[in-house]
Amino acid sequence: MRPAAWNARDRKKMEHVWKALANDVRREILDLLHEGPRTTGSLAESFPKLSRFAVMQHLRVLEGAELVIPRREGRERYNYLNPVPIQQLYDRWVARYMKPWTEALVSLQTELETETHEDTA
Amino acid sequence: MKTLHEKQPPMSKPASTGATALPDHVISIHIAVPVRRVWDEITKTGRVQRALYNTVLECDLKPGGRLRYYSPDRKRVFIVGKVVTVDPPRKFAHTYMFTTDTTPPTLATWELVEESGGTRVTITHSGWTTAHKAPHKVAKGWTEILGLLKSDLETGDIPLKTKVVYQLMKWFMFMMPKTTKTEYADKQGW
Repeated sequence: MRPAAWNARDRKKMEHVWKALANDVRREILDLLHEGPRTTGSLAESFPKLSRFAVMQHLRVLEGAELVIPRREGRERYNYLNPVPIQQLYDRWVARYMKPWTEALVSLQTELETETHEDTA
Repeated sequence: MKTLHEKQPPMSKPASTGATALPDHVISIHIAVPVRRVWDEITKTGRVQRALYNTVLECDLKPGGRLRYYSPDRKRVFIVGKVVTVDPPRKFAHTYMFTTDTTPPTLATWELVEESGGTRVTITHSGWTTAHKAPHKVAKGWTEILGLLKSDLETGDIPLKTKVVYQLMKWFMFMMPKTTKTEYADKQGW
């Protein structure tokens, strides 16, 4: 089972994703963005113990991992959460190992039974 | 800790009164095939688009053109809209309304940009309000669609799990609301 293609670029990217997630502040930023897009300034205010520069550095790491997409709106930079890398990580490293054997066998059966009349519309 | 004075994220004005605007969805993926191939797949008409939940796109590829995403047998229509922007092979935008949910149309925009020999595909879905049923489900749908598009274009196949779901969808199509019937969409002028 290959849920998605894993070319060299994707493998490298996944390393960035794991690294980006291996930090408490960055995970908290993702939680905040999960509620909706935020400006960099607004995010910085959510971390009063950190400098604005430090928050920006964290955002850069998240952006490098494609977990955050910046969008410029006028003078503001809004940060959007991109769920795609997390979905890829889930497909590759969570779903795969959780997949019960029964489900796998049912899928196999369905595949074998439907193979002959594939939709060609 | 959350701040009290958050700036409003960018969003379009709600079309109906009483509904509050919600932020856009921005979802992005890299696909290791040329921009043109992605463009051809997402604007492919008359044949099943496996990544888009096995639907068939029928649309007049020019601004104002009618757009519909059908079931493979054309008996059902799931998404209706009008083409807003066609800028091959970079940008394709259309209004977007579920036939199951007659809330004001939203706007779906595909943007394709060449990136490291492949294509950066970004979906921006805007125009959400509290009147819409489940914007977060649509965002989840896009995440899955982009993953399937990547898989389909890079490997020529989609996961078995998804094919099984498509087969089940075919069997249970009769359970879909009447509003998804093609005759109904025709009557509504969608």
